[in-house]
Order: sequence, then C-alpha cells, then structure tokens
Amino acid sequence: MEGFKSLINYISNPTILFTAILVGFPFVFPPNDWFYNVNKKLKIDKLWTKKGLFVMVAVTIVFFVFGLGDSDFRSIVLKPDNVPISGLIILLIFFTWLSMSQAYENDKLMDEGKPVDEYYEAPNDKVLVWPDLVYVELISLVLFSAFMLIWSIGLPAPIEQPANPSESPNPAKAPWYFLGLQEMLVYYDPWYAGVVLPSLIIVGLMAIPYIDRDPNGSGFYSYKNRKLSASIYLFGWLVLWNVLIVIGTFLRGPNWGFFGPFEYWDSHRLEALTNVNLSELFYVKWLAMGLPSNILLREAPGLIIMFIILGVLPVLLAKTLLKKFYDELGYSRYAIFVSLMILGVLLPVKMYLRWFFNLKYVISMPEYFFNF
Amino acid sequence: MSEKKSILEKISEGQVWKSIFRGGGVPTTRRQRMMVVLNSVFLHLHPVRLPKHAVKLKFTWCMGGLSFFLFLILTISGILLMFYYRPTIEYAYTDIIDLTEQVPFGIMREIHRWGAHAMVIAVWLHMFRVFMTGSYKPPREFNWSVGVILLVLTLLLSFTGYLLPWDQLAIWAIAVGSNMAGATPFLGSEGPGASLLAIGDVNFITKASDARFGLIGGRFLGEATLLRFYVLHCIGLPFIIMIFMAVHFWRIRKDGGISTPV
Amino acid sequence: MSEEVKTKIRIRPPAALGKVQEEISAPRRSIISWIAVGWLAFVAAAGGFFTMILRFFFPNVLFEPVQTFRAGFPDDYTIGEVDLRWKEKFGVWMVRNDDGIYALSTVCTHLGCTPNWQPSGQKFKCPCHGSGFRITGIHFEGPAPRPLERYKITLADNGEIIVDKTQKYQEEKGQWNDPEAFLKV
Ligand code: HEM
Ligand code: FES
Repeated sequence: MEGFKSLINYISNPTILFTAILVGFPFVFPPNDWFYNVNKKLKIDKLWTKKGLFVMVAVTIVFFVFGLGDSDFRSIVLKPDNVPISGLIILLIFFTWLSMSQAYENDKLMDEGKPVDEYYEAPNDKVLVWPDLVYVELISLVLFSAFMLIWSIGLPAPIEQPANPSESPNPAKAPWYFLGLQEMLVYYDPWYAGVVLPSLIIVGLMAIPYIDRDPNGSGFYSYKNRKLSASIYLFGWLVLWNVLIVIGTFLRGPNWGFFGPFEYWDSHRLEALTNVNLSELFYVKWLAMGLPSNILLREAPGLIIMFIILGVLPVLLAKTLLKKFYDELGYSRYAIFVSLMILGVLLPVKMYLRWFFNLKYVISMPEYFFNF
Repeated sequence: MSEKKSILEKISEGQVWKSIFRGGGVPTTRRQRMMVVLNSVFLHLHPVRLPKHAVKLKFTWCMGGLSFFLFLILTISGILLMFYYRPTIEYAYTDIIDLTEQVPFGIMREIHRWGAHAMVIAVWLHMFRVFMTGSYKPPREFNWSVGVILLVLTLLLSFTGYLLPWDQLAIWAIAVGSNMAGATPFLGSEGPGASLLAIGDVNFITKASDARFGLIGGRFLGEATLLRFYVLHCIGLPFIIMIFMAVHFWRIRKDGGISTPV
Repeated sequence: MSEEVKTKIRIRPPAALGKVQEEISAPRRSIISWIAVGWLAFVAAAGGFFTMILRFFFPNVLFEPVQTFRAGFPDDYTIGEVDLRWKEKFGVWMVRNDDGIYALSTVCTHLGCTPNWQPSGQKFKCPCHGSGFRITGIHFEGPAPRPLERYKITLADNGEIIVDKTQKYQEEKGQWNDPEAFLKV
C-alpha cells in the first residue's frame, strides 16, 4: 500500500507525468495518418467504446476512493473550492469519450459509405420545438436545479480569515480556472504569462475558424478527416489547460513546490534551486569569461536564438515541412498559424529547459523589465 | 358539442388566458404548436422546427443552454446577495459571514459560488462540443468569435466576484492577478517598454497611472479596488455579457440554426 | 409607377435632410471635403469621449495611508537579523548588517505577494510561486525577475530613523549605491 502510494508520488513528479502525457498524447489523439494507423493497430481506439468508458471512469473513481483513505490526499481533495475540479476530471473523461466515440462511430459509417448519425432528410426529419425541445429543456432545467440545490446544501462555500495584506497564505493560489496560467508564471515572466499569453489564447481561439477553413466536417462528430486540427485543439485544451489546472490544484503545495498526491505539505521542505540565465550559461560557463557590460552584447545569444525561432524558422518551414500549409493558407494566415504554433510549442520547451538545465531566462533584461 | 372539458381546457379557452398567450387553447395540432413558439417572446429564441439530432442530448450536451440557465441563476442569486452585502473593507467580510449565519435559507451564497464554478465548466464544455462537431466552420466563424468573448467575460465575472468576500483567499488571488496588469507591455509600470514612453525624465507610466492602477483604483489593493470590482461584477460585466449573448443567440438563428451535416 | 418616378425615389436623399433633390448632379469637390471634415470631427469627438471615460478612472487625489514613518533608533536593531516589527503596518523589513541598516520592501518583485523570512534557510521565501531572496534582497531562485526594492532611509535630527516609502531604490538599476538607500551606522 505504502509502496503504491510512493510509486504514485514518484510518477506525479512533473517531469515524469508531463513527459508521459506528451509521449502518449499523439497515440491517443493522432495528428496524422501514421499515428492514426498505430492508434488503430494498437487498438487504442477501444478507449472510445462503452467498455473503454467504463474502465476509465472506474479507474478514476477507484483512485479517488482509495486516495480518500490517505489523510494528505483527503485534505487537498476535500477542500471546498477543489471539489469542482474533481468533478471536472470526471466530466472531462466523460465528454471526451462522448465526442470521440461518436466521432469514431461516424468515421466508420463514412468509410462504409453510409450517412453519418446526425444526417437527416430535410424537411421530413425535422421535429417541432414545441413539444420536443421545450420538454427536454424543462427536464434538464429541473434536474439541474435540483443538483445545484443539493450541492449548495451539502457543501458550504469557503470563507477564510479576513484579508491581511502582510500575510500571504502559503501556498497562495489564483482561482482554480486560472491555475494553468499560474503554472506558466513559474516559467515565464508576468508580462508574458499573465498578459501576452492570455491574449494570444484569446486571439488563437478566435483564429481557429479562419485558419481551419475546410468546410467539411461541420455539424457532426468526426475525427478522421480533421485529425490535425482536432489533435492540436485537444492538446491545448486537455493538456496545456486542464492538466495544468489539475497539477496546479492538487500537486502544488507550500512555497509553490511540487508534492505528490500522497505527500505531506511540509512548508519547511527546503529546495535549493538556483536558476541561471542563458547569458550566464553562455559567457560564464561555456566561454569562461565575465558577462559583457553592453546589454545587447550580453543578451546576444538569447536574442539570436529567438530571432531564429520566430524569424527564420517560419520561413524555412514554409519552404519545407509546412509547404502544403503555406500554399493552402496564403501569407498572412500562415504567418499567424505558425507563430501561434511556435509560441505554443515553446511553453513545454521552456518547462523542460527549466527542469533539466535550471534555465531561467533566454533573454534577460531586468533593466527594461524585459525577460523571456 | 357536449364533450366534458377538463379544467385546464376551460381555463385555456377563457378570455384571460387567451389575452396572455395569444391564441389560447392547449396546443395539440401542428399549427397550434408552431404558433406557440412564434407567439412567445421567450420561446421565440427558438426556431419552430429543428433537425432531429439537435434535440438529442448526445449532440449538444445541452451545455450552451445550461450556460445560459446558469447565468440566469447567478443573476437572481446575485441580486439577492446584493440586499445584504456592502462593498467596503469594514463590512464586506462580516456581511458575508452574517449572510450565511443570520439569514434564513442562507444558501444563496453557496448557490452563487457553486453556480459560478459550474458556469465556467459549462461554458468550457460547450466550447469543446462546438469544436468537436466542427460547428465553428463557415458560416458560423463569427459566432465562434462571439463565443470566445463570452468565455472571456464569464471568466472575468468569476474573477471580479472572487474578491468580494475580502478574505485571505480573495485578496491574494486578486493581488497576484492585478499585479499582472502592472506587467502589461508599455501600459504597465513594470512592463517591458514602459520606460520607452518617458519623455526625458518624466515617466508617464508610473504606479499611479498604469493599467494596474486603472484596474484597482489605487497603488495598493484597498477600498477603491473593492468598489471597482463590485461595480464591474454587479453591473458592468453582466451588462456587456448580456449584449454579447443577445448577439450570440441571434446569430445562431441567422447562421441557419444548430449546425447540421450538409 | 413609371420608370421615371422609380429612379427619383432611389436617388432621394434622407428625408431628414428636409430637401428632396430632384436631380443628382455629379457631387462637387467641396461637398466631399465637407463630409470628410464632418466625419473627422465625429471620430475626434468620439475619441475625445473615450479618452474622457478612460481618464475618469484615474483620480487626482488618492486616499492612501501615509508613506513615511519613524522607525525608532538604530540601536533598536540587532546586527545580522531581519526585523519584522514594521512588516504588518508598513510593509518594511529592517535589516542591520555590520555596516548599517537598510529598509527592504516586503513586496515580492514577481507578483506582489508577501514573502516569509525563513531564519533556517536565511532567505525570504515567497509562498505564491516560490521565489527566494537572500537577506540582502537579491533574488536567487524562483520566478522573481529582480531583487526586492529598498526604501529611502535617513536619520532625523534626534537620531531617529525615517523610512520614506515614496522613494525606492532598485538594485538592477544600480541605485543601491545611493547614500539614501543605506544608512551607515
Ligand atoms: C456565456 C456563454 C455562452 C452561452 C450562454 C452560449 C449559449 C449557446 C447556446 C444556447 C447555443 C445553442 C446550441 C447549444 O446549446 O449547444 C450555442 C451555440 C453555439 N455557441 Fe455558444 N454559448 C456561450 C459561449 C460560447 C463559447 C465560449 C463558444 C466558442 C468559443 C460558443 C460558440 C457557439 C457556436 C459556434 C454555436 C453554434 C453551434 C451550432 O450551430 O452547432 N459559445 N451557444
Ligand atoms: S509573487 Fe512572489 S513568487 Fe510570485
């Protein structure tokens, strides 16, 4: 039992957990034909059958029930504000399953040359809003109200000590729906993680329909014909948003350190981690000289790398790997698409650089509040 | 015609009923049922007829509807809370405590708080389903963008509400959140580029004139912050979100109703 | 309706202008430029209104606590220790070393939480995202981008220490060498 708990604690370590998710993801949500075939061959698509749902939900519930026997786990999971997140985990599993199972079902129907499940023959297959829809609405409304009532009676809303500006709670967390962003704050400076990144997410979401312009596949669940866009979206939504929220809620403890789900939140646990900037690595460690006093010279390594990544790489990709996209999307759409993708990929990249090389900033100009 | 009429039928054919629900009578025929929808300002958000998959839970998950329903619940419970809550540092915290302890049926706060959590989740899941059914594709691109704005507004509503209890949870979440505004490029006093906007020695973007200040109404979290967040939470943002919801619903109809396979 | 009447209706200017133009002549230059001026004025006025609304959020007078306080005498502070007595009220740590005293801001340079002094590790540790600062205020771990700020610290005529929080000194700008950032004792 204890062995199992320490195993879970061990694999909850972000390096392992995140790497596992990163590697596993394309097999579960294949972005291209190759992964898709592997997905089919390894029968990973069995996840989207009724049995698959049963297994996924059962494993999650057993894990939670088992975990509740542990006092450390209990104290985190049963915090009133964290309860919705446990709910969110189950909901995410269920709704991911619900959409993927219908998508794979429809893919099969289309392979067989049959119309998809949502297909209907206008106008014969239309139903009247009264009574067909109004009743569904009424019933959902009543059931949901009952659910809200029970939830509200059963779980008191939290209220902590009165505000005290000189005493930050340890750990101090943003509201749970922003914990994904707060996680990014560990790796990026506030101007980027707190302002630019959210703006990019908003712009990126709005850009989706203007970049994925394939008119097919609208109005029914499907996966096979829109592997790439679906996979990208699912990666952003499930991994970069929700997994980070779960990590931020359950695995981030005092002093913003990582704690396994069965680990005691010890606020005196000392972690010596000294972070270095790329300029220090480059000049001091590799060239064994002092930092140049000229800022631009000092930050030249980082500036050059960023220029290559954001300025040169997109052009190279347009000529090689992503030529198809460039031809399809045209100049401006391509530029937006590639920039968003690159900045998105940089998020996990920076996490790894921090974990493995203690890298703090690629570009560090605290004089101008400009650190990246 | 000496059939016995049920009470419901009698009432529904009386003058009062007829005057309220244009037409009157229990809608049984196809025509009557269509008229019911057309004749009501509320039901008229709907089309008269729908493709059959659109009424199935497994297609829409009812998440858009639920988001809207939650918005209504939050509006009502929020208005009730306003009867007791005073947005000042002196009273805010104690008013919240009193609200739970001294007011009969004091679960309004729970309904409001858990409802807010639920709305965030519902909006996320709604977006998820819209993506998975490819419903953002033409002609619904614009409505997807309106949806993104609704999502942002939902989060902002939640965030501004988080401060109002004025407890430790509240102020530190808002302290961290509003300090990020101070790091806005060019417009925040601790953001990159702000020093470029100075003329000679005169800094225009300072702690007392930057984006963060505009948000919290001072250089420190305080009375002004609470008031600003209160007004945004209770009036400003709900007002804006209602406008966008109206556009959202209107465009669903104009873009051809719930998306269908072509 | 005859063809003629139809076209007339089509070219009629908005009734609000009061005059029904029977014939359209090619619009003259002067009219176009007046329209441009009109639109420009409209845009400028609208811009003006928005600026007004924006400016409305930045009042001229702030009701905020006093920023200067007397912090006792230098001898009240022990060498090598971080003094917490002004933390609650004014958000200042007083630190005395062999050479003198400095007043450190208790605001984490990351996102403004209040770090805790950990005597065991000899560091200020921020609970929000884990930044660590040495006793000098220099950051060495976590996401904080720069050292803690120091406040202006001077002696009054009677030998009392005066801390002025309106004046701050940032290490990365080389301001800690300023004589008023450090009180020599
Ligand atoms: C306050 C938040 C929102 C409310 C109250 C709301 C409400 C609704 C409702 C009632 C529908 C009808 C179909 C359904 O229930 O699925 C709908 C459809 C739609 N929503 Fe939303 N929505 C919200 C946020 C969003 C967001 C965040 C997005 C996407 C970014 C979005 C994009 C769409 C689109 C594209 C449709 C058309 C779907 C179709 O035709 O199949 N909405 N919305
Ligand atoms: S506020 Fe101190 S580390 Fe983020």
